Amino acid sequence: MEPLPSLPSSNGTPEPAAGPEPDSPSTSAPTNPSAIGPRGFGLLPLDRRTRSLVTALVTLLLAIAWAGTGYRYEPYVEALPKLSGDVPANDRSLKPLASRLTRRARDLNARLKATAPRGMYIVIDQTQNRLYLKRNDETLLQAVCSAGSGMVLKESGGKKREWVFDSPRGRFEVLSMLRNPVWRKPDWAFVEEAQPIPKNPTERLDYGSLGEYALYFGNGYMIHGTLYERLLGRAVSHGCIRVGRDDLREVWAHANVGTPIFIY
Amino acid sequence: MVAVGVLAAACTRAPATQKSTDLRTEVARLQRTSALLQRQIELASEKEFYLVIDPAASAVSLMLRGAELQRYPVLGLQIGHPRVSWVGRHDPRPWQGTIWSNGELDPPRQIDRLVIQAAPPGKDVAEPEPAEIPPTAEELYPVPMRYHIRFAGGLSLEIRPREADANAGRWARLWASWSAKWRDVAAAILTRDRDAVRLRMAMNPKDAESLYRSLPPAVRLIVLAGGADAAADSK
Repeated sequence: MEPLPSLPSSNGTPEPAAGPEPDSPSTSAPTNPSAIGPRGFGLLPLDRRTRSLVTALVTLLLAIAWAGTGYRYEPYVEALPKLSGDVPANDRSLKPLASRLTRRARDLNARLKATAPRGMYIVIDQTQNRLYLKRNDETLLQAVCSAGSGMVLKESGGKKREWVFDSPRGRFEVLSMLRNPVWRKPDWAFVEEAQPIPKNPTERLDYGSLGEYALYFGNGYMIHGTLYERLLGRAVSHGCIRVGRDDLREVWAHANVGTPIFIY
Repeated sequence: MVAVGVLAAACTRAPATQKSTDLRTEVARLQRTSALLQRQIELASEKEFYLVIDPAASAVSLMLRGAELQRYPVLGLQIGHPRVSWVGRHDPRPWQGTIWSNGELDPPRQIDRLVIQAAPPGKDVAEPEPAEIPPTAEELYPVPMRYHIRFAGGLSLEIRPREADANAGRWARLWASWSAKWRDVAAAILTRDRDAVRLRMAMNPKDAESLYRSLPPAVRLIVLAGGADAAADSK
């Protein structure tokens, strides 16, 4: 049987073919790994030095590729406007188009301005518990308030109801303004205190806990005063907006029925 | 003689060409202004909160129904595009003047709701323990060194408080930049639709923190092009 052809090694000596050759002195196992001779790098036969070189090169290329991967940031530069739609090629027709567009832009700008609230409005940041009283672009008052705690209350017996004490988000309006308001306690106020829900409506009335004034903006929500001024700036209410006495007086003095309230 | 004639003709034509170019630029500018105003009216007529980035005024405003709720100064604005192995991948879609929707914070602002099971009515309730004073928003929501507001469709706002990491230690800064690099690499390689365009905004640390804590969910966005133009036109 013919022996298998040998592959030439990098130093020119032929590699022994597979299979035992008991008479050959080169069959003894080499102790020095570098003396193993040619070894494949994948399918390529490479010696150790070349292998290291290739590994280093591949690592370098990967590092370069990694460095060039991600996001490339450029400073914002105002892009030149591009003509769109049917623009006449004739210069004489451009002038009427320009004046038409100017009128349209003026009209749209007026429409946009009309969407903004005019006069006084109230802005409430419910996460940071801040109330701003604004008139047009001017901020008249920045007050610390308390918005909804986000707590969930679950009823044990009865109807197994559940209440989430969040302040609502969106645009509202002052629907009514009350001096020395009386709180008509809803069911959750009794459930929270493990008290039976009264059948007599007068037993629901609570005097003095809402402060001097209340601005009702719908669905049971109000901007009102508080007995716990030390908790202002923290989300502790059942959804209403609690304001300190002096700030509430200021809000009361400037607000009217219909004043927009924005809560975010 | 002919040369003088050609020169004279060129001299008289040059201002006319310039005037025509100016007029075309003006028409293009007016078209863009009108389109932007139209979109702002559209945003103001809907119920969602929206952000308006006005590069001309260097400001970003949180708005609802045309009312400016909060205005934050923008100290720097950069545009970022993904690139893989130095090869840029520009999204051809226009991002300026487009309405972007469903903007959400990343990392999100976690809300831990306290759930209370009420005692049955009439049952003797144990003497209530003195209530703990709940944390403030500042204590409740730590703001990361940099965060994103990601919009459906591929635009991402990257908010970087200026010098926010100045107080952090060297290792914390190194770790932050290292992890940010890896996240950027992953975003550039793995996702095509997310972060197709990034707007990096540098803000005062207090403003960046305030925006993070206050941003309502599912916010919308428009980036104006010529904010100053509209005002000038109205006069």
